[in-house]
Amino acid sequence: MELIGYTCSYIPVEILSATGLKPYRLLHGEITLSQQGEQHLRVDACPLIKSNLGFILKNQKNFACIIGSTGCDMARRWIEIVKSTTNIPVYIFNNPRTDNFEIYSAEIDELVSELEQFFHRRFDKSLIQKECEKWEGIRQRLIAIDGRRRANPSAISTTTFHKIMNFYHQGRLEEIPYQIPDEISYKPRIFLLGSPVSYESAPFIELIEQRLRICGDFNCGLSRGIHIKILEKSIEGLKKAYFYQPGCIFKRPNIGYYEWVEKEIKATKSTGIIAFVLDYCDNFDFEIHRMEKRFSLPILKLKSDFSFQNMSQMKIRIDAFIDVLASYRGGIV
Amino acid sequence: MKRTYKVSPKKIGLRTWSKQFEKISTETISRYRYYNNGEWGIYLSPPATFMVYGMRELKRLKFDNSFEALRMWGFVFNETERLFRAKQIGKKVIATMGDLGVVPILVMSFPECVPFYPECLWWTPFFKESTELLDTASKLGVPEATCFSRAVVAAFHKKAYFPKPDLIIASTGASCDDYSCVMQTVEDMGYEVFWAEIPYRKSPEFFLNKPKPQILEKTKEGFVYPKILEEHLIREYKRIWQALFKLTGVNNPHRLVDTIKKINTLRRLVMGIKRMNEEAPIAPIPALELMVIEFGNLYGYADFDEWLEIVEMIYHLVKDRVAKGIGVLKKDAIPIAWVTPSADPYLLNLVEECGCRVVTTEYVINQALVQIEEDIEPLRALARAFINASLIGSTEERIKKIKEKIVKKQVKGVLITNMLGASHCAMETRLIEKLLSDVPILSIDVPAPFGITQQIKTRLEAFVEAMR
Repeated sequence: MELIGYTCSYIPVEILSATGLKPYRLLHGEITLSQQGEQHLRVDACPLIKSNLGFILKNQKNFACIIGSTGCDMARRWIEIVKSTTNIPVYIFNNPRTDNFEIYSAEIDELVSELEQFFHRRFDKSLIQKECEKWEGIRQRLIAIDGRRRANPSAISTTTFHKIMNFYHQGRLEEIPYQIPDEISYKPRIFLLGSPVSYESAPFIELIEQRLRICGDFNCGLSRGIHIKILEKSIEGLKKAYFYQPGCIFKRPNIGYYEWVEKEIKATKSTGIIAFVLDYCDNFDFEIHRMEKRFSLPILKLKSDFSFQNMSQMKIRIDAFIDVLASYRGGIV
Repeated sequence: MKRTYKVSPKKIGLRTWSKQFEKISTETISRYRYYNNGEWGIYLSPPATFMVYGMRELKRLKFDNSFEALRMWGFVFNETERLFRAKQIGKKVIATMGDLGVVPILVMSFPECVPFYPECLWWTPFFKESTELLDTASKLGVPEATCFSRAVVAAFHKKAYFPKPDLIIASTGASCDDYSCVMQTVEDMGYEVFWAEIPYRKSPEFFLNKPKPQILEKTKEGFVYPKILEEHLIREYKRIWQALFKLTGVNNPHRLVDTIKKINTLRRLVMGIKRMNEEAPIAPIPALELMVIEFGNLYGYADFDEWLEIVEMIYHLVKDRVAKGIGVLKKDAIPIAWVTPSADPYLLNLVEECGCRVVTTEYVINQALVQIEEDIEPLRALARAFINASLIGSTEERIKKIKEKIVKKQVKGVLITNMLGASHCAMETRLIEKLLSDVPILSIDVPAPFGITQQIKTRLEAFVEAMR
């Protein structure tokens, strides 16, 4: 067993990594995995949850434990399904939805204590500092890569960036490349947001980037994790860095999410937005209307169940979106 | 409270009720009033009145024929009017959203403050047999594959179902995503929202190591939880208290003690009714009325004192019927448990028509049914009561009582009513089916208003066959 599974951006990877295992973010999204998950869940459960369950059922021997979170209702309840279908030890991290640092802080203390006891390891100051430095170093490299993606013209595609971020999210830090060749693009610049992008979402990103360049994003599975900046390399520092990271859309109120995305859209000079929304992902589905009003940019909403059956339809919609982008710039829309 | 006339218990339709209503004297009608106002607070009407006002489903429903039930329906259907009246006479109307059980107790502890749950409007599209609220919600950007509580977004938009609240307290956290999104949408519409956290009740099996006994506590209902949960809730309740203090200028903790006592009286009565219904050989009261009674525990339908009297009256009715061995269903009706309330009231009628009787329920409001401790600090008592909440912990805990009743053979089947796309339904249903597999289980997706088809009826009949 070499992996410690986790489900949420609010769970510090540094703490998980201090166990000596690789933190593995559960971000699987693939139709056959999803169908396996459906043996235990209703069809209207989140496709990410179903796929993750399918993945876990096939790979349970690789996981020493899974740290779930109360991030969204389905993600929280998913841990109970994992518990009832596998022998993997599970833990649920109570991630508050409101601005409640006290709960978050207490939960981190408890998580540390649980992991120390479970793995018979002491998470002393030097170990935490070492982990913080390791992960901060990686994130700095990723920020530099992301900088080239965001540059104008964009020098790295999100297709490539996604592959690199998969290494980060799977704890395969040694595989993150140092040298990445330029992929300069002058295609229309767009911003991607919405539900998590899965490890298996490459064909979807490639499809978008055939005609457009994704210059920035705010999705789990892409750049979300790298915006966490640890100022104080200790447990207390981790608490602050992770709790006050760019706000998740699940937070209430979620104004922080909008402020961050608005800033990023401007910084990346994006001319349009693609919202990737998984089926039954309430948190994004509810917000599209508001986003349209708030961001004042054309938005293309692409619904997905992680199958690629509707790729042709998506391609047509992306083509139509490009026409909208062109006319919007001309002041017609 | 004395009943005005005696009838043999049965379920009747609108026409019969209207005829029966003629026997009620004007004096009796004027006796029952909300906010104790004789001028405009009279609420006793035959159900047909509300059908004329737009509650079209009433013509299909069957009601308990007692005067007590009539009083209850008149009062419940009068709520919108009551909320507007409250505002007119200077009361503060406070929308309490999401926690289903405790925040109204805080609100009621402040003078002239009336709490209400906008989510209870989820029944309205069904009573009205109209998709107007749901369609409006869709136009406002709310996805269709979500809980029917999305009607609340439209209600806030239309401003016709309740007055503009003086304060909106929205509880979120370990709760369903759909309603959390509804509340966020309400805030986006320009309403000022006071957010409160509902922390997760982590039971010992969701720790990696066996938790030390000294960090755990257990509710009287048997839920084991980390003690720190109480502190998290108390902190939130103090924040809410401060917000109400700011709104009213009053800060009198003694009122909270008194309110808790009153709440406990209601809860005792309701649990008494539920217990009698469960144990009686013949169902003394229909499932539909019972659901309305159970949900009244949330906030007393915006006039707590009047609601308490109504429930007391129903309690005596049920007691009387049980003592006489009479009721509203056949003796051989099959006892079932109902998990998650149905947004469509007609389903409760239909289940009984198919030969079932609902003896136990898990309507996601367990926190509103338990007694609140009166011998400890009140905010702690509220926290300890809320920790029994249905949706803040695991599914296994949620249906534990039903499982026990299955073992005791008090329940022969389980009916689960779901909403397509609702977060907890999607995740819990298969697990509940697995955990309660000793008896037949029927899981139904409640269709949109006026959408109950022959297919659902056939499935119900098959469910009954399987139980027999």
